[in-house]
Amino acid sequence: MTVDEYPDADAATVEEVEPILRVRSEPGVSKPDPILTVEGVRRTFGGLVAVDIDHLEVQRGVVTALIGPNGAGKTTLFNLLSGFERADRGRWAFAGRLVSGMSADRLARQGMVRTFQLTKSLARLPVIENMLLGAPDQMGERLRIAPFRSRWRDQERDNTERAGQLLEQFNLMHMRDELAGTLSGGQRKLLEVARALMAEPRLIMLDEPMAGVNPALAQSLMQHISLLAMSGVSVVFIEHDMNVVAGISDWVVVLAEGRVIAEGPPWNVIHNDLVIDAYLGRSGRPAESTGREESS
Amino acid sequence: MMEFDVIFGNAARAAFGPEAVILALAAIGLNVHFGYTGLLNFGQVGFMLLGAYGTSVSVATFGWSLWVGIPVGLALSAVLALALGIPTLRLQAVLFAIATIAAAEILRLIIGSTDAIELTGGPLSISFDASAFYDLNPYAEGPQVRYGAGTFAFTGQQLWVITVGWTLVALAGLAVFLIVRSPWGRVLKSIREDENAARSLGKNVFAYRMQALVIGGVIAGLAGVVDAIKTSGADPNGFRPQVTFFTYTALLLGGSATCTGPVLGAILFWFLREWIESFLRQLAAEAWLPQPISDSLSGSEGVISVGVVGLALIMLVLFRPQGIVGNRTEMLIDDG
Repeated sequence: MTVDEYPDADAATVEEVEPILRVRSEPGVSKPDPILTVEGVRRTFGGLVAVDIDHLEVQRGVVTALIGPNGAGKTTLFNLLSGFERADRGRWAFAGRLVSGMSADRLARQGMVRTFQLTKSLARLPVIENMLLGAPDQMGERLRIAPFRSRWRDQERDNTERAGQLLEQFNLMHMRDELAGTLSGGQRKLLEVARALMAEPRLIMLDEPMAGVNPALAQSLMQHISLLAMSGVSVVFIEHDMNVVAGISDWVVVLAEGRVIAEGPPWNVIHNDLVIDAYLGRSGRPAESTGREESS
Repeated sequence: MMEFDVIFGNAARAAFGPEAVILALAAIGLNVHFGYTGLLNFGQVGFMLLGAYGTSVSVATFGWSLWVGIPVGLALSAVLALALGIPTLRLQAVLFAIATIAAAEILRLIIGSTDAIELTGGPLSISFDASAFYDLNPYAEGPQVRYGAGTFAFTGQQLWVITVGWTLVALAGLAVFLIVRSPWGRVLKSIREDENAARSLGKNVFAYRMQALVIGGVIAGLAGVVDAIKTSGADPNGFRPQVTFFTYTALLLGGSATCTGPVLGAILFWFLREWIESFLRQLAAEAWLPQPISDSLSGSEGVISVGVVGLALIMLVLFRPQGIVGNRTEMLIDDG
């Protein structure tokens, strides 16, 4: 898909396309059509409160950026919501279903798929096998069916075809049969996003997808993310680069010290005084003391 | 005069004998655990022990038919995999390794304890009547009947064991080949590479690991069954931790995560071991070595040959880390 295939995207007024734009810019505000609703989620590490969110909703079908200074709890929030870490308390619903406490793999099968800040490409598997792993509901992944190739061959062929299309889109087709470990850091990032898309997510959560990706590839990745939202997939991504945030997000949520301190459309939020304070440190208080340092 | 044909014959007999069959089966099972799933199982001998004792005790103590005893042995291996896996598969790799080696040792010590004499024979070996198996032997049997040439020769009974044994190796190898080339096998490899990546794509890591542990454990149990039939019994001393380490040696020699690697590795392991041992025995017999050296050598040929195989493994890891049939680029890839 390219942008040109969406000639009507600009035809309607922006408000009609994006009901999110009618939402007020205030922390914890409710959205017209949330795919993810978070309620009272809290996680502490020793005495440090890493995440403490009263209420947060993520609108369906738009690109939401999650920003905040280092140690704000962005990655921890991702880990909690996607089932990779346990919350001390709190509930969250995905697509109208209460999913708090659900295991990471079940959440992924529900359509909530995430990527990682440090890429997790499967180094000793070829790129195409990395992609195929993402495909959902594979018959051949059941032990009882696995030995009988005829029972999974057709599905495998369809998945391989879809994987090829995605690789093409992400400029990885020439690496199709190479081991993923031979890819550059940026290519691994792209592979991880492409692989997550193989899983046919309803909500995709990207942890710093642009980090380490060269500017040209980052540009095309940004385009992909915008297209994803147009095709109905909801996107939440963590990002530090404000140009990227301003460029592709429809909505921005700002986290500081584990709390949502602001949210709204990018042009509203980026110049918000609270946000600037959170990034630059409050008066008389150095920025370093805002919380636990996350790996970055 | 050194008789190299004798040395070679001895080595070849070991390479294709029942010991190699047992090692090959254990290595095929370990390959499912370690090679494909990345499970650091250091208790492979525990599965073999249950296969051997399950069969032996069923027949010797309970008087059941051998054809009941064999499935009992295999079932016990599967039960061990489940009992071991449920509490430990969520542990880190290193902790899992410790748990497995401990479990295998605990089993050996319990089965070999004097309190267990009535059930398992305790520290004494247990023996049973395996005639149900040997009655099916199609090969002629007799004091003078040998199949083969020179020292590479087997009795009819031995030939029957290795015929069935290598058939089992082929079947187990084929079964593993069929399941690991499937999407199921792809999930195993993804878990080996990064379990959180697999999880993030919706794979139930625990369930897959458990399936792999049971499959590899039952194949090791089969190795134990062959061992029990070969010796018509079992001895706790035959199931010390080094059996697991030899299995790792064979697997790494041949090539981890390959289909033929564990089998080739087992053959090569026994060939090398027997060749060196046989060579040392001949050296001593020829009195080519100075007396003090040959005196200290005598009786410890076996130990030295194991040492040399260990040295060969070190060289292999240094110069050909992928094993004989492994893929070098795959092996040397950076984990980052």
